[in-house]
This record gives sequence, structure tokens and C-alpha cells, in this order.
Amino acid sequence: MRFPKTLSGLATFLLAGGLAASSVIAQEPVPVSIAVYPPNAQINTIRDRQSIVVQATYADGITRDVTKAATFAFANPAFVKFENHTMYPVADGKTELKVDFGGKSVVVPVEVAQATADRTISFKLDVMPVFMKAGCNTGSCHGAARGKDGFRLSLFGFDPDGDHYRLTREIPGRRINLALPAESLMVEKSTGVVPHTGGKRYEPNSELNQTLIRWLEAGAPNDQGEVPKVLAVELYPPNAVLDGEGSTQQITVRAKYSDGTDRDVTSLAFFMTNNDTSAAVSQQGLVTAGKRGEAFLMARYETHTVGSHFITLPKGFQYNAPQLPENNYVDHLVNEKLKRLRINPSELCTDEEFVRRAFLDIVGVLPTVEEYTKFMSNADPKKRDALVDELLGRKEFVEMWVMKWAELLQIRTNQQITTKPMLRYYEWLQERVAKNMPMDQMVRELLSAKGGTFANAATNYYQIERDTLKTSENVAQVFMGMRIQCAQCHNHPFDRWTMDDYYSFAAFFSQIGRKQGEDPREIIIFNAGGGEVAHPVGGRQMKPKLLGGAVPDVAGKDRREVMATWLASKENPYFAKNLANIVWSHFFGQGIIDQVDDVRVSNPPSNAELLDELGKKFTEYNYDFKKLVRDICTSRIYQLSTKTNETNALDDRNFSHATLRRIRSEVLLDCITLTTQTKDKFGGLPLGSRAVQIADGNTSTYFLTTFGRATRDSVCSCEVKMEPNLSQALHLLNGDTVNSKLQQGGLIDLRLKEGKTPPQIIEEMYLRTLTRKPTEKELAALNGVLVNEKDPKPVLEDVFWSLLNSREFVFNH
Amino acid sequence: MEMRPSRRDFLHVGFCGGIGLTLADYFALKAKADIKKYESKEGTAKSVIFIYLPGGAAHQETWDPKPYAPIEYRGPMNSIQTNVSGVFLNEMLPKTAQIANKLTICRSMTHGEAAHERGTHNMFTGYRPSPALQFPSMGSVVSHEFGPRKNLPPYVCIPGQPNEFAGTGYLSSSFAPFSLGSDPAAGGFTVRDLKLPGGVDDTRFTRRRTILDTVNDHFTKKEKSDSLDAVDTFYQRAYGLVSSVDAREAFNIDAEPSPIRDAYGRNTAGQRMLMARRLVESGVRFVTLTYGGWDMHDNINGSIRSQVPAFDQAYSQLITDLDGRGLLKDTLVCIASEFGRTPKINATAGRDHWPKVFSVVFAGGGMKPGIVYGSSNSTASEPEEDALNVEDWATTLYHCLGINADKELMAPGDRPIEICDGGKVRKELLA
Repeated sequence: MRFPKTLSGLATFLLAGGLAASSVIAQEPVPVSIAVYPPNAQINTIRDRQSIVVQATYADGITRDVTKAATFAFANPAFVKFENHTMYPVADGKTELKVDFGGKSVVVPVEVAQATADRTISFKLDVMPVFMKAGCNTGSCHGAARGKDGFRLSLFGFDPDGDHYRLTREIPGRRINLALPAESLMVEKSTGVVPHTGGKRYEPNSELNQTLIRWLEAGAPNDQGEVPKVLAVELYPPNAVLDGEGSTQQITVRAKYSDGTDRDVTSLAFFMTNNDTSAAVSQQGLVTAGKRGEAFLMARYETHTVGSHFITLPKGFQYNAPQLPENNYVDHLVNEKLKRLRINPSELCTDEEFVRRAFLDIVGVLPTVEEYTKFMSNADPKKRDALVDELLGRKEFVEMWVMKWAELLQIRTNQQITTKPMLRYYEWLQERVAKNMPMDQMVRELLSAKGGTFANAATNYYQIERDTLKTSENVAQVFMGMRIQCAQCHNHPFDRWTMDDYYSFAAFFSQIGRKQGEDPREIIIFNAGGGEVAHPVGGRQMKPKLLGGAVPDVAGKDRREVMATWLASKENPYFAKNLANIVWSHFFGQGIIDQVDDVRVSNPPSNAELLDELGKKFTEYNYDFKKLVRDICTSRIYQLSTKTNETNALDDRNFSHATLRRIRSEVLLDCITLTTQTKDKFGGLPLGSRAVQIADGNTSTYFLTTFGRATRDSVCSCEVKMEPNLSQALHLLNGDTVNSKLQQGGLIDLRLKEGKTPPQIIEEMYLRTLTRKPTEKELAALNGVLVNEKDPKPVLEDVFWSLLNSREFVFNH
Repeated sequence: MEMRPSRRDFLHVGFCGGIGLTLADYFALKAKADIKKYESKEGTAKSVIFIYLPGGAAHQETWDPKPYAPIEYRGPMNSIQTNVSGVFLNEMLPKTAQIANKLTICRSMTHGEAAHERGTHNMFTGYRPSPALQFPSMGSVVSHEFGPRKNLPPYVCIPGQPNEFAGTGYLSSSFAPFSLGSDPAAGGFTVRDLKLPGGVDDTRFTRRRTILDTVNDHFTKKEKSDSLDAVDTFYQRAYGLVSSVDAREAFNIDAEPSPIRDAYGRNTAGQRMLMARRLVESGVRFVTLTYGGWDMHDNINGSIRSQVPAFDQAYSQLITDLDGRGLLKDTLVCIASEFGRTPKINATAGRDHWPKVFSVVFAGGGMKPGIVYGSSNSTASEPEEDALNVEDWATTLYHCLGINADKELMAPGDRPIEICDGGKVRKELLA
């Protein structure tokens, strides 16, 4: 690639409008560093090779693929043939490759072994990747549960032995022709020689086809014994910042095997992008920049999916990062990301906005007029921090998080759980959150719970869901944020989880015993000490294996205890980060990984450094999430305004400004109830309780259901619905919540009797609902309505009604 | 609400910062110019009643009996002649058999999704499920393309949104269905909150609206967000509904004369279908209703016998009633289910999931009446003639509505997505 000439960038500049033409670069800039990928090369056998990518980084953060412009020199050129930036073996030995560009140089150690030896063809290592790369075993083709057009392959290759059988033995003589390998049906179909519903997948002389033919020529063998496993897949470069539409970056992919070898699998990896308008990728691994934005580039090889973070900026974009005040690490890490994206965060929100936001988020109620006045008149520059501390000490903070945990633990009555154990379970949770028990300890207690569902109510966790597989799915989803359901039937298509992982994890839950207690409503959960999980393909008994972790010794132990000890510990890389993400999401309306329970390689965090740090802090705080909430709420980032500037108007993932969030149903109802000075009665709770305090997921009201209260029927974060709909509008306009409460509370009447003037009353109603005083304009308009009426009461009631119906009221902003 | 583009149209997945709106707008407009655009104009079907049979209705025990197949395929039930010569239906559909000359029965529907949620996704969106994108339901697309008519919500679900795929997908939540909230078959059924509360007359409501506009003005000028726009849209819709007696009356099923309510049947099938007729008659564009549970893994004979008669009565009455009122020519009544059921009766005398071939039925709205389109093979296990895939089925349905399904709508990330990808209109189905 030549460097982009200035003219090609000019069009974009003009469109960008107002950007200084002086930013046009007159000569080739000098990089601040170059990187060569992979950082070392190991070439084994004549079949192996290694492609090289050189990436230069410039002072403004832009990266360029300079592979074609760089110069390459081997210390000893005898071992390697270098063509198209790819090394091929010539003779055994060690040497170094020196790469020079723009005055910078990097040395890459190179080792060649068995340079003239061939390696025998392997069905699993050589042939199976062809089916993935060519798309044969995807769900829409032969990977479908019933295959396609009479021929089935396992989805994404989860069952290589089965695939070998179907290719070689099913309908003998049809799919392969060992006498004339090139005339095998599997070859002719995929090269388009005979009609194929899936069309021509590759050229006859392509590497993919040659691999198949070589395997057929060898007699279509299956692998004998164990073959090396792919331990890791590396994708290079690990990140890139592309300079304008049309810029390109080649990717190189390397697989590392359990026998210590590696292979360049760039031609065999399947490439994907999560945003092809910003960075598209070809199946040869060439990334082409598009519109300004971020993209996550992924390569799938075998069961591994790996990714690389790409940013595309408008060509020649000039940006000077502002000096920003930072309250703590949250601000620093968010700002660092924003700098890379050339975004400036919004200004701080006003005190009025902050006090409302903090009350709604931390304690789920609106500030009273007194609380508002106290905060506003406080001159202490640290008053926001002080308010956060004060709110964290209130009982409503505990109640908010008991409700959120109750959703994750699905606390509700059902056929197995009557009211009594449900309440016990709720109390168990409440007690722990109230005394601020470290989260790891609480989760360990929960997951290893034994005993009666009355006596040790945490055991209800295993009554709410009694199915072994579903239980292990729930545990993965709630405590690690992962949806592993896909892997029940096939290897996860968008993540690393295989069926082996799935059933090995489920094996931790296969020995849960249940028996009747003395009270017919009580069930006793115990360790049955027996019971296994079998893999559906081949029926192997699966040894309990931690997700992404080790195979622990479970002999003679309660498997759940072993699992819980690992799960809620720092050995588990997902636990702290997942809980931190759930906490974050509560305060920002979206997770750093979003949805919070959809953690997977192909759904990367919007700010990985931030999530890592939050997880690390949470661990250091001994899993005290109150401390984490304090960090978040005292950060500048949490206190930003919703008002955007020209750089961040379109950012909706990087927390560069606050976003409008509809208030969740329970909190909204509580706000209406409190501001109207009325009381609610919910099933099983005394009059005057708040909706946040409802223990049972099955208890609801029309208001709560219409505004999206979770039924707790599943652990999915999607249970809580925040979308507006027509029923909500109708209910607030005409329904019995707002209208009846206005009457029941009688607040207007009371204030008039107290001798308050209409403007005073209006101001109070504004403060009660919107946490601000009415503007001059609003007061004038409302007075205009009032002067025409003899009786101010109905008008004032209508003002109150309007405030409760207003957009400003139903959104946290 | 008018058909102005949603703010979401301009938003990007992940991130797209602006170097000022100039560039962002330029890109958005460029993307808009590149997308396939077609004007949607009301077609032969002015309204749709989408009757969904959740669970996967056995095609053998409804629209596609195989009286000459061996017993293990044929199953335990008999079939009856309809008023179209040579066309047979299950014996529990005698009334429907007498209106078969008004129906368009497709016996060659096929797709590859044997899981409930995936099959359901197909039949509500016209798309295979994707991990990357939530597709909008057909009702939401209609809502997006046409908007409300006669102050009524364009898309209504009876009794409520039946599943997650019946929602707006990547479209703004302003195109979400209106859920009745309770079952028209239930005693004392009303749709809540349509009428002004006691003590509030039209004059006072007008005053409330004026004050509300004053209060909202400050905030809506200051803030921009998709969900804020959606709340606005729903308030406008609510005003329309509240202020129009005709619109409100559409939901008042008690206004139907008792004999008509009896004729439909006083049960969930009857009253839901009657409600659907009232709604399309009054101006609703797309009504989705569900009836029964059709996942008959066990004792299919018993389940069909208990569930189908109410359906038979309600459905035949609906078609006859629509026809009698001159509405059938403008109203497309569709019956669908996520898939059919296995060719052979299983060990528990039921049938399991079978997406390879099953039946869907149309009536009215520009479809050719009195025909059977496509066929399954002799054991009802595969399409034999004119296999009808999901894309073509949905595209044909959209065609009747006056929507070119090749039109692209803007998904997040400025990704133009066809309403239906690669479908063809099956002209043979059209009148």
C-alpha cells in the first residue's frame, strides 16, 4: 500500500466542513514506533509458513499497515524463503528477521525445523478447518440440525468423528471416491463442477480444495489416537486506528497447539466484524476502513474466537485532547478511551440534576423539598461526595439492591415454592445485603446451600430451578454473565464454549439430592453423592470442569461447594467483573458489556480497561459493592450532563455524556406515591410499603406490569422492560394511579388551606416531582391559566397532574 | 405521528463521534440515498388479522390430512370433504369446510427451524433468527410504513404481545403493538384507561393538555433521545384514542349484539376473533391474536378434539362475518404456526416438531379464494409441489398490504436491512 496521497483525502475534508486545510500532510510522516506481528516465528515442516504484518504507529495515534513499504533482512538468509511477506522453510536453523521502516527497526526471532519433512494429513487438524472456512458447517448449510439436501455436518465442527463417518461411510461411495479423489462428490459440489445448492465455495486449485484432495489421496483417514489440541489462537495486530475511508490493515492469525507447535492459519480462519460500516473484513483477513466508528474484528478458528479492536477516524482528523479534571480511576479510564476516539466528554451536570439523579439511582426515591433545599444551599465543594455517602447509608439503598438481587435469584412463588419458603428466601437475601456481607461470601453460601428450604432458605435457589442443565445455565448467566445455552446442542457459534465445557460444568449440579421435610411445604436439599452428566454425542461421562478453568478434584466432596468456592473467588476471571458490570449498568442504563448477561468474545466490552479495573477494585474491596457504588457515583463521568457537544453527540457506548433513562416501574410508582403523599397496598405487605419492597415476583399491579416489572420467570436481564408503550401513556393520562392519588393525597387542598399562594404551591409541586423550580416562562404560562379561573384548586391539581405526566418526571436525566 | 425518520436512523452501533453534525448528517444522508426505497401504498389488503397458533399446529390434523397414508402417518383422526371438490380437512373442521371456497390453503410451507422460539421468529418477522440483529415483526413494519388510521393504534395484539418476536426489533419502540391487556373472552372485559377519569370533562382535559405541553416544553427542547420521542408518540396516540369516540368504541366488545357474540362462540377463540373484526372494521391495520396451545407431543387425538371445535366455529364465523360486511376483500386473514408436526405418530400418541413442511392459510385481502396452493408428499413429510419458504410467504403478505418487501429500513449502525430478504411474490396466490 502506498501512503494515501493528500488529494484522495481532500473530498472527505471538504465534507467535514470547516476543518483546517492546513492539516493536510505534506510529506510522509515519521512513525513513533513500529510493531511486527507475530513477534516471533516458528516454522515446522514444509507445510508450514508464517506471514508477517508490520504496523506503524504515529504521534497522533493513527496506525498504518506498512508491510509493503518496510524493508526486510534476515541475519542468515539460508533458512527461509521470503515471498509476499511470508516466510517459507528452506533449511533447519535459527536466525533473525530485521524489519526497518521510517527509521525504526524491529527484530523478529525465526526458527525453522524439519524444513524438508512433510507432515501427515490430519482429518481434525487439516480437513475440519476447511468446512468452517468454506462455510459448509454453518447452521444455514450442512450444519443445520438435519443437514441440508441430505448431507449433514456437525455445526461448526463440534463432532469431527461424526463428520468423518458421514463423509466416508454414510451412503457408501456417494461422497468420496478414493480411486479418483478429484471426482469425489464432495469435491465436485464444493468447486461448482456439479450443481450445488450452496454454490461454488472455492476454486479447484485453492488451498482448501487441495487439502481435501490430499486427504482423499491418503485414503480419507480419520486420526488415530489423540491429536494436538488448539490451545490458543492469536490475532494480529491487537488493535488499530485507521486513517479514513479506504485505509486497510492486513490481519494475521496464528494457532498454537498443545504439542508446542504453531501454524499460520490466516487462510483458514473465518473472519467477522461487528460493524462492517466502520471496518469491513475480507475472508483473506484484509480490513478496510469505512465510516468513522469502532469495530471489533474477529477470527474464528476451531472452537476459538479471538478479536481485535479497530477504530476508524475521518482522514487526517485533527484533535487536541483537552485537559480534563479526574476524580478517580473511572474518569481516567473513560477519558483515555474518549481520547482514542477523539471525543470530548460533556460538562458536569447541575446540582439540581445531580441531586435528582443520585436519589433516584442510589435510593430509588425523589429528594424531598427539605433534602433538595439542604443540598442546594450547601456551599461545600465536596457536597456531591457527601450526598453519595449519606445516601449509601440509607435503608432504601439496601432495598434497591435486594430487589435487583431478587430478580437475579428469581425470588417468586411457583409450584415448588409456597409463600413461606419464598419469604424466608427473601429474608435470607435481605439480611445479607443489609449487613453488607461480601458478595463472594453470599454467593458461596447460596450456591453450596444445604438443608431445609425453611431452615436454610438459600436452598430455595435449587427449588426455583430443579433441572440440572438449566441450573448450570442460570449460574453461568447470573454470576459470570454468560449465556452458554447454545453449547447444550452444539459448540457455541459466537464464543469459546464447546459442548464439553457445557456438560462438564453441568456435572457440578448433577448430585443435588432433594427429599421431603417434616413440614409438607419444606424440601431438604442435600448432597446425594452420586449422579453424572453424560455427553449427548458418544455418551461420555463428563468430569466436572470449571468454565474456562481447571478440572478440580471432587472425589468425596460436595461438587457444588467446590464449584462455589471457585466461582466466587478471584481465581474466576469473570465473577468480579460481571458483578461490577451489573452495578455499573444500574447507574448508566447500559453495561460496559451490554447486555450485562451476554458476555462473549464477540460482544466485547466498550471499555475493557475500565471493566478490568472495576473488577480489580471490587476484588480489592473484598467484594464490598457499596465501595464500588461510591467510586462510580463520585466519578465525574457519572455526574456528566445529558447535554452533548459536537464531538460526543452520536456516542452512545462510551459514557461521554449522561443518557436519559426511563425510571423503572417500581421506582416510578414509589415516586408517584411519595410525591402525592399517598400509600400503596401490595399483597403480603403492610399499607404504605414501597413497590421496591415487594418480595414475590408473582405479586404485581397493573401499573407495575405495564411499566415492565420483572416477573422473575427467568434470570435474563431482559425481564425488566424499559420500553415505552401506549398502555403506559393511557394509564398515566386516564388511569387510576395518577388521578386517584391526586385525590387521595389531597395535597393541593391542604396547601390552599394552609394559606399558600398558587405560585408557592406550583413551586412546591415542581420541586416534589422534577426537583427544580419552575422557570420564569413556565410560571408566566401557568399564571396565565390561573387568572381566568375563580377556583385555583382544579387548575393547581391539573398542574400537579401534568407534572406527573411530564417527560421530565418519568425520565432520570 | 408522521413518517419522519426516527432518530435511531441516525445513530450508530458502538460509536460514531461527530466532527460536528455536518459529517454525521452527510453519512446518514448518503446511507439513506443508497438504500432501496419504495413508497408503501395501501394494497389489496387494507388490514391484516394474523391468527397465530402457538406451539406448532399439526398440519395433518388440520389443513393437510392424509387419508390414504398408512395409519402411523395418517393418525387416528378422519377427514371430511369441503365445499371445494377434492379438498379434505380434518374432521373437527366441519364449519370451516363449508367456507373452504373462500380460503387459500398453502400446504407446502417449509423452513428449517425446529425449535419453538426460532420457528416463531421466522413466522413473526419473515427472517431467520440472527445473533446480531433483532428483526421487527410484520405488525411493527406495517406500523412503521403506514402509521395509525382513524386515531387507532396501527398494530394491536389480542390479548397481549404473544412473544418477544412480535415486537419492534431494531425499529424504534414507537412501532410497538398495543396490547389489550386482558382477554375479550373474560367476563367484565374492558380495555383500560381509554376513557377520561371521573371529574375530567373534555374542557378540563384540554386544559390539562395545555399545561402538560407547557411543562414538557422545557425538557423536550433540552433533551434528545429515542425513548423520549417514543413517549411523545404514544402520548399523541393516546390523545387521538381518548378524543375519538369511534376509536374508543372499537375496543368495546359489549357493543356487539349478543347473537353475534354467541355465533363466534363465548370462548377465547370466538371473542378474540370477534374483537379482531371490530378493530379492523374501525381502522386498525394489523391485529395479531393467538389461540390455544398446539405443542401436541402426547395424545394428539384428544387435544385436537378439545381445541379445534371452538376454533372451527370462530374462524368460519369470522370469515363469513367479514364477507357479509363487505370487509373480506380488504382484510387479509392469515393463519400461521411456528411449524408442523412429525409425519409419524410418536410413542405417546402425539407428534413432535416438524418444520420441513406444514400448512398456512390465507383468506381475503386479494388472495385467490378456493384454492390449495402447493402440496406435501404422501406422508406429509416434505413439500412436493411449490414449496413455500418463509421469505416468499412474508413477501407475498407484504405485497398484499402494499409494501414492497425489498425496501430497506435503517437498522442501528446505519445498516440498511430489507424488510424481507430475497423473497418473491407468489403470484399464483393472488386473485
